[in-house]
Amino acid sequence: MRVICSKENLMEGINIVQKAVSSKSALPILEGILIEADGELKLTGNDLEIGIECFVEADIKETGSIVINSKMFGDIVRRLPEAEVLIEVKDNHVVVIECENSHFEIKGLSSEGYPEVPSIAKENTFSISQRIVRDMIRQTLFAVSIDENRPILTGSLVECREGKLTFVSIDGFRLALRQYETESKDIEFSVVIPGKTLNEVLKILQPLDTSLSIYSSNNQIMFDMGRCRVVSRLLEGEYLNYRSIIPKEYETKVRVNTREMLSSIERASLITVEEKKYPIKISISDDKLVVTSNTDIGNVREELRIEMDGKKMDIGFNPRYFIEALRVIEDETIEIFFTSSIGPCTLRPVEKDAFAYMILPVRIKND
Amino acid sequence: MQRVIFLVDMNAFFISCEMTRNQDLVGRPAAVAGDPKKRTGIILAANYEAREYGVKTAMVLHEAKKLCPDMVLVPPDHGFYESMSKRVMTILNRYTPIIEQNSIDEAWLDMTGCESLFGKPSKAAQGIMDSIRGELGLWCSIGISENRFLAKMASEMKKPLGITELWREEIQYKLWPLPVSSMYGIGRQTAVKLKGLGIETIGDLAVFNRQTLEEKLGKYGVQLSNLANGLDDSQVIPHNRGEMKSIGRSTTLPEDITDIEQAKRVLMLLCEEIGAEARKYGKKGRTVQLTIKYGNFQSITRQTTFKPTYLTREIYGAGLKLLEKNWDANKPVRLLGVSLSGFFSDCEMDQISLFNCGGGERGSEKEERLERAMDAIRRKHGYRTVGRAALMSYKRER
Repeated sequence: MRVICSKENLMEGINIVQKAVSSKSALPILEGILIEADGELKLTGNDLEIGIECFVEADIKETGSIVINSKMFGDIVRRLPEAEVLIEVKDNHVVVIECENSHFEIKGLSSEGYPEVPSIAKENTFSISQRIVRDMIRQTLFAVSIDENRPILTGSLVECREGKLTFVSIDGFRLALRQYETESKDIEFSVVIPGKTLNEVLKILQPLDTSLSIYSSNNQIMFDMGRCRVVSRLLEGEYLNYRSIIPKEYETKVRVNTREMLSSIERASLITVEEKKYPIKISISDDKLVVTSNTDIGNVREELRIEMDGKKMDIGFNPRYFIEALRVIEDETIEIFFTSSIGPCTLRPVEKDAFAYMILPVRIKND
Repeated sequence: MQRVIFLVDMNAFFISCEMTRNQDLVGRPAAVAGDPKKRTGIILAANYEAREYGVKTAMVLHEAKKLCPDMVLVPPDHGFYESMSKRVMTILNRYTPIIEQNSIDEAWLDMTGCESLFGKPSKAAQGIMDSIRGELGLWCSIGISENRFLAKMASEMKKPLGITELWREEIQYKLWPLPVSSMYGIGRQTAVKLKGLGIETIGDLAVFNRQTLEEKLGKYGVQLSNLANGLDDSQVIPHNRGEMKSIGRSTTLPEDITDIEQAKRVLMLLCEEIGAEARKYGKKGRTVQLTIKYGNFQSITRQTTFKPTYLTREIYGAGLKLLEKNWDANKPVRLLGVSLSGFFSDCEMDQISLFNCGGGERGSEKEERLERAMDAIRRKHGYRTVGRAALMSYKRER
């Protein structure tokens, strides 16, 4: 193998595929990046959960392939001058990396033992703008569970039904849902994608309207961005029926300004010491929403003017759950539906149903 | 006000406990030791008669036997020592509520301002020593000073049955001539490092350039320099739940095992102890860590996180998952350890979950009542009186 490419393009490709390379693996070959030159230069990272392939613009002088330790390869290329890089494989898997006055000879591994990234039949295809998928991941990923005891909840449900694409994350204490009306009405699927995969995909996706294709099979999903492809295993099992979890009725409804509410809660959660966490209390009455917090160090009171409908309400929350939801909501005004002081509340847009953030409260002592 | 700090150190604690219930051990060399057939076969505590022959703690059995062939050996009974230790603490509690237990056999007491109650410090110390000796038949040494460090150093100076005062103005002639390795807080590694700097005695350390010490040992160096100068403003902190970072138990197995079923039982025993301790202090932890030490002394630790709990069954469940995931039947295991940490710093935040609004909650509440009932029975009637069926045919060997 003998290829020449620009340092910039190579580095970009390495950065992308490195997201799928485990830094420590029982199999040394999985700590490597697979470099293949065959018509095009392709880099692959694969930790058996996620596989990422990325094409790099290059001048292929000789075809061939090699596996080289990812961290070392990345570190070397990063520090090379901004110029053309030559990668050449010699006998005994020795890789030569040359750039201006630098010359490296590094031991590589035969590409034979490198696990193949599963291929997926391009049947169940779905095309959508990168920007939209990026936003939908960003706006739901934070509510994915980290509790390994319920593995299915460590992923997000991605569902397409009746022309609606839906992303749902639930961690047991809250739910985040985003919905998007698509043009294609005839595609139906429902998969649970590991949070880790979505986290990597999120980093690769660009906030651009260029198109992204999603292919899925029984147990794999592929995000195809043209020059770059991410294949991931899917989580197996039945996801929670989120439709039945989100309450349809309410006791109290309020309409608030999103930014004002966010700022108030952020301020109210400031008086804490180190890792100690305190709940906030929300009291709603007479078109007023009061956020309070009493901690060992002091107390805070924030008052917001709101429009309300229904009964008075006193309810406690983990402020983080509110903050994380409010931060990703772009609408200027939202509606919040409360069911009871120990029941879930749901943040929704004033019109339509592009999102729903449901949060369960904490029990507060009445003092 | 001048602080008055005591350190009460029980002399030859394990063997002394044994001597209180076995007259045959009195007046002749005896020691508590692990089973010679097991790898834990070392001297855990020798009485003063045995010490005269040169028998020391942590000595390998056959070596000790060579020095003192007539020595009587008693297997350890940690449960008994724990209970004796508790009784000692109860006696100490009559003198001050500010007690910081440092280990099973020693504790710091803050006796500041107690003079009008018990007289001069030396008199109060004599009272403590007499109570422990009279009521429990145990000996102790007491160090008296104005801070924790000096009290600890003082307690080491006269054993057994010593009451030693060591005040700051006396350190030049009482403390400084001692080798630096005998200083509390200095281990073998540090002693070697200090020797490299030409520091042999505590006095050498006290006058050594602090900046150089800081460069060589970091913050710890400054701290050592302060201690050597008799300066220690740390407080005697009655052990409270606030500062507990983790609760852990580990055991070296009687022999290396490769059978996971055996390991599971050991795991359950460990988890039971952790659960009981965690419930006692009301500490719910969210991280369970498993330690496996293999026959070749290599060890691995693996951990997992879940919702905060102090239930034995849940701790065991998490530990079991780790054990199964990391079990390698080809690698004999020598030691197993489990710990619970990541304590929920604020249980006030009683977060409602999707899964505990219904039956789940009742399930774990029931479990908690069950485990608390077991704790109560064990406290009252002894540990062995009630147990899990899975462990019925299995007695823990230490």
